[in-house]
Amino acid sequence: MTQTALDGVRILDLTSEMGWYAGKLLADLGADVIKVEPPGGDPARGRAPYWQGSPGRETSLRFWYFNANKRSVTADLAQFDGRWLLGELIKTADIVIESWTAAERAELAERGVDPDAYMQDQPALTWVSITGFGLDGPRAGWQVTDLIAQAAAGIANLAGYPDGSPMRIAGNQAYIVAGISAAQGALLALLRAEATGQGQHVETSMQEALSICQETSHLQWDFQGASRQRVGEQYRIPGIGTYETQDGFIYSMVGIPGFGAPWSEVVRWMDEDGMAEDLTEPPNAETFENFNLRILLDPDEQARHAPVLDRAQEVLTRFYASKSTMELYEGGQGRRLLIGQVATPADIGDSKHFAAREWWLELKQPTTLGQDDAQLKFPGPPYRLSETPTSIRRPAPRIGEHNQEVWVGEVGIPAEDLIAFAGEGAI
Amino acid sequence: MTSPNGTRPLDDIRVADFSWFGAGPIAGRTLADFGADVIRIESEAKVDGLRHGEPVKPGKTGLNVCAYFNNYNADKRSFLLNMAVEGSREVAMRLIERSDIFLSNLTPRVIDRWGLTYEELCEVKPDIIAAYSPMQGLWGPHRDFLGFGAVLTPTTGISHLSGDPDRRPVGVGTNYPDYAVNPGHTVVAILAALRHRRRTGQGQRVELAQIESVAATMGPSLLDYTANGVNQTRKGNKSSWMFPHGIYRCADDPSGRERWIAIAVGDDAQWESLCAVAEGAEFAANDQFATLLGRRRHEGDLNAAISSWTASFDAASLAIHLQSVGVAAALVQDAEDMCEHDEHLAERGFYEYLDHPETDISLYDGPTVKLHDTPGYLAAPAPLFGEHTFEVATEILDYTPEEVAELTASGVLS
Repeated sequence: MTQTALDGVRILDLTSEMGWYAGKLLADLGADVIKVEPPGGDPARGRAPYWQGSPGRETSLRFWYFNANKRSVTADLAQFDGRWLLGELIKTADIVIESWTAAERAELAERGVDPDAYMQDQPALTWVSITGFGLDGPRAGWQVTDLIAQAAAGIANLAGYPDGSPMRIAGNQAYIVAGISAAQGALLALLRAEATGQGQHVETSMQEALSICQETSHLQWDFQGASRQRVGEQYRIPGIGTYETQDGFIYSMVGIPGFGAPWSEVVRWMDEDGMAEDLTEPPNAETFENFNLRILLDPDEQARHAPVLDRAQEVLTRFYASKSTMELYEGGQGRRLLIGQVATPADIGDSKHFAAREWWLELKQPTTLGQDDAQLKFPGPPYRLSETPTSIRRPAPRIGEHNQEVWVGEVGIPAEDLIAFAGEGAI
Repeated sequence: MTSPNGTRPLDDIRVADFSWFGAGPIAGRTLADFGADVIRIESEAKVDGLRHGEPVKPGKTGLNVCAYFNNYNADKRSFLLNMAVEGSREVAMRLIERSDIFLSNLTPRVIDRWGLTYEELCEVKPDIIAAYSPMQGLWGPHRDFLGFGAVLTPTTGISHLSGDPDRRPVGVGTNYPDYAVNPGHTVVAILAALRHRRRTGQGQRVELAQIESVAATMGPSLLDYTANGVNQTRKGNKSSWMFPHGIYRCADDPSGRERWIAIAVGDDAQWESLCAVAEGAEFAANDQFATLLGRRRHEGDLNAAISSWTASFDAASLAIHLQSVGVAAALVQDAEDMCEHDEHLAERGFYEYLDHPETDISLYDGPTVKLHDTPGYLAAPAPLFGEHTFEVATEILDYTPEEVAELTASGVLS
């Protein structure tokens, strides 16, 4: 069996949905990640979308995607015995990850579930807190969701239509970015803990981690005192923006100086199809020889070229509309023009590039619907490590699926005791 | 700020950073924040586009005054090496031999042309961790496709799934994947590989196809298609289970700047708290909205009612008020809010202000994860173009000053 990068690392994952991705990244790299759930299960187990569209706690595709490779035990932290069990399990762990709210954190600490106390008893332990706004500061107690974090991080303001409202980026990106940040912190702390025996507390603020996606907005404020606002898909410059095709949309980004083919290549392409109209004729042809983004970001240049730009926009829009998305994507890239397909999930699911790279995985996922396991074409990893490849070794767990295996087999709780704990509802 | 014990987790790590633009250099920045000695390879023959970018320090020109570049390259050393000149590869290999990590987001063509494949690096440094992050990977039918984050947002489904269902896809307004997703994943993979090397002595190749790295963030939507055949589409700012869940217009500020608030209500208790704050508003007394089902079925009316209520409020004060009663809410912040008025970020000291020889005191993003005992920090601002060429050549590569002069004259170190 191939060795994994995180061989022998045990991680307890006490997170809610906003922290799932950190544990997934580390589990896929080989760590033994154990979800510790309340006896009724992680409340986010029921989130859409669902296998066969059937809502339920054992049919959530979202839960499956972010929790495959993890094992599940239950412990009721509202009960003394549940907290005692957690304490015993922490003794076997290298890293604990949680995403408690400030109120939950305070309440648990009062009852003895206190990161500082565990770290004192177990100096090599790394404790990772995933939070909306950090562990301190005036907003440490604030509620957070993906939408709230995107608003507070300065990125929702940049996304959307200029005549509409600010917009949330799809895919719970605040949770994703917080998960990446937490995984980085966990690994940095682990490297040090393994070298020195000293663990530490690691903290992710979703607002801070996501705020670097403002691009240059904050830098522009610092230098120029101006706040960048959303521009949507305004076509100030032909060739930059979203265009309709015969069967969908493309994003076109042609004419970036020093990157890919110049604008004159677009004219050549249209001309080969007899669709360049008057863009090949003087004075237009000369303009396109030197036509690029840098020139056109200068408002004076834009004004000077306005009639040609408007004309180019019309002709290009007609050209793009006459072709299929794939013709433009592959044909354009073949000419070294930066064109991207506005892909739907189906386009990615059916993509020959993803298929040729064998990105998709196969996973059998047990489900409460019918007798058969779900046979899933499962999304692959973000990266490939040549010597310690990532893998999906087990499907997402059912609630408490590994109670016996972990509590009795690995923590050493006598079987009779576990029966008692189950009877009182502590697991 | 210095670490209590003066050390950071990557203090003994050297990175040969052959990357450019955003996604690659940001990965190098994180490694530098946590102690790595990052040698950023630059060349007059192909200057990083961000050195020519925006914004520039007013009244200044040249290669050292663009904050877009400077922010991602703080705490690195800039080393000039023109890989198109004969003799340059030998210098590159000498640097790689003395490094732990090789970092690149160059296209596969350039990697091949410059002789920087993993196998070639292993000839001089068998335990190198070599991280490649080309757009679409090192192999596959689309391996030579070009792009930036703005091209990845559409090709990974984010553009299709973001925005108003009744309007065209709008994109997200930035090169989003370049900043946190792709460099962040790259760093995670490098750190995992570093742990493996410390345990076994074995290096490896990390390949991050940027398109896959972003697609991996869209798992649930992709699974809905591969498992159910459902091809999802965009649904604005709506949630499938929170009502209300949206961004609502508030009163413009005195200068006419639009102000918006995000509100997300996850259960009846939060709804009741919202209604208590909105006492007197029509929706607060409307039984139609008292239950989750009612709010879901009448979501359009609900959003309209909330918009008309928020319209007269100051967004920042309203967010603070709602949060004080446990309702998730936030001002939609723009750059001015982030840099000037966000007392929370200020108190936490997230932004760092470093004194740079040409841009003076300027803003940099702080480390995006906080380690309490060995925190990351920026020890220096961005390097000037080629600032450390002599230093790196003599101190790390052990060239004599005479040899450096020769290599400079022949154009290798340029």
